[in-house]
Amino acid sequence: MGALAEILFGGLFQGSLYAMMAVGLALVWTTIGVFNFSHGVFMMLGAYFAWQLVEVGLHPAAAFPLAVLATAGVGWLLQAAVVRPLIGRANLVLVVVITTLAAGSLIENGVLEIWGPRSKQLPPLVDGNTMIGSIGVSLHQIAIIVVTPLILGALWMFLTRTRLGLALRAVAQNEDASQLVGLNVTALYGLAFAIAAGLACLAGIFMGGYRFMSPVMGADPLLKALIVVVFGGISSISGPIFAAYLIGFFEAACSYYFGLYWTPALLFAVLILTLMVRPEGIFSSRGRGLA
Amino acid sequence: MMDPIKRNVRAPGRTPWQREAAGFMLGFAVLALLPFVFADSYSRHILIMAFIYAIVASNWDLSLGYGGVFNFGHLALFGIGVYAYALLTKLAGLDPWLALVASGVVATLAAVIVTIPILRLKGIYIILVTFGFAQLVMQVIISQSELTGGTQGIVRIPGLYLFDHNMVRDAKIGYFGIALGLLAASTIFLRMLVRSRTGASIVALRDNEEYAISRGVSLVRQRLITLAASAFFTGIAGAFYAAYQRNASIDVFGMSLATIVLSMVLLGGTGTIYGAIIASFVLTFFGEAMADFGAWRPMITAVLIIVVMLVYPSGLVGMIQAAWAGLTGRLKRPA
Repeated sequence: MGALAEILFGGLFQGSLYAMMAVGLALVWTTIGVFNFSHGVFMMLGAYFAWQLVEVGLHPAAAFPLAVLATAGVGWLLQAAVVRPLIGRANLVLVVVITTLAAGSLIENGVLEIWGPRSKQLPPLVDGNTMIGSIGVSLHQIAIIVVTPLILGALWMFLTRTRLGLALRAVAQNEDASQLVGLNVTALYGLAFAIAAGLACLAGIFMGGYRFMSPVMGADPLLKALIVVVFGGISSISGPIFAAYLIGFFEAACSYYFGLYWTPALLFAVLILTLMVRPEGIFSSRGRGLA
Repeated sequence: MMDPIKRNVRAPGRTPWQREAAGFMLGFAVLALLPFVFADSYSRHILIMAFIYAIVASNWDLSLGYGGVFNFGHLALFGIGVYAYALLTKLAGLDPWLALVASGVVATLAAVIVTIPILRLKGIYIILVTFGFAQLVMQVIISQSELTGGTQGIVRIPGLYLFDHNMVRDAKIGYFGIALGLLAASTIFLRMLVRSRTGASIVALRDNEEYAISRGVSLVRQRLITLAASAFFTGIAGAFYAAYQRNASIDVFGMSLATIVLSMVLLGGTGTIYGAIIASFVLTFFGEAMADFGAWRPMITAVLIIVVMLVYPSGLVGMIQAAWAGLTGRLKRPA
């Protein structure tokens, strides 16, 4: 019983973080058709923004949304600077990988210059600890588990129920037709990047609340988000969300039964097997289409 | 002179091999004479590093530029070479020269293993899987710390000797010679491969996969050949790097090194081999020239990479070709 509870809780918690990151990657891929390798840096930058705002005396309830907005702004700017000018080039995917990598390196080193290498920590969403059955957990982790589905649900509603969300999905499905019916495709590209960056910032705030922050804190979550989108298929939003929780549970079970060290290798083995059987991911079809 | 119909085709086999061989010999001679100009060990160190980068970048150009396979685990193959050499010489006590070659073989095997899951994949999926492969090789090395030293790395790796002559002596002239020899061997190997029928079929698969397959080119075989061929000298370069630096660390798997080498490939212009080599020299020397900028160096490099990508996406070779076309009045297809 203890084992099951631990795996379930650990899986839900990790899965929430992975889902938060992976959805942003998938959102940018489906709308623009590029892969944003500075996504992990958005997460790190968002956490530092939040830290700075709390440091100047703002209440977290005000600081965190402001940080999300600021990171979304950076996401929009980055898109305008290193992605939009390249649209239409033959090797777009490859060139954007290198420009977003370079932009990420620029931001990472900039953060190191501004805030220094010393580890920082954010206040948790909710203070305190509690017991679930026999395992001790922090309320911060529980808050993350509860808040993440709400935010992802809100994103889902936005994409399926609002005009703007539908416009984003239209661009993802058919760019030329969207342009023909008068959608501002360039602005929607910016919006996709901004939303992705905002979600990454939230993931950063979540992570900064229970672990020390550093300029390289986004690298590992980016890797995990990559695995999640490969696993779940990148051409939708729902696929990566399911895959995020699945991988969360898988990791929790692996590290419980085989130890933390073997988990990455096992994860990779499962990934290879999945790709050999279903190259497009387990929850997805090959086409591009949001939601 | 060239056949007028074939002149505009940017594909292997365009330049007569005699002319290319002459150009190669000229370049080799210039590089071989450099130690006479730069006698101090620091300048030679920069040159050795440039040669290592050039080997890694030009081999990456084979899979990325010619094969169109977005192998983002290329630096992991280099890292596998580093660790294979370190473990083979230090733990297994193998002769350093044997270990050098064996590391190339190990990297080739690793490339074959990573090729299997990407055989059915395209574009972005290949990036994801190979990137994940690189990160997970690093994770495995970190987790097996009893063997690999984990994040501490491995120190005091045996260097290369020739009849009791330590290669570091005489301002590293020995290592300079080996590095240049490896670069020459790697370049000859790559150019011969891309000029061969195999090379043509690899390019055919990149440009029109369905048509190439319908004409009897095997996607599975050619992709295995592409990745395996690009891994061999990359692994040897990794082993040589380990022998030269005499330590191994997981930094070789980091994003910063991958970004630098990838920008060498793209800056040089893909699908040329020589472009990657030229860009490796340019970026290495440029990086050294900026050593005084300290923490600002990676930021300046990042900005420069972005600017070049925005302004001249076909890279240095494309720039040279355009200039040449302008000079001779020929109209060439943009790269």
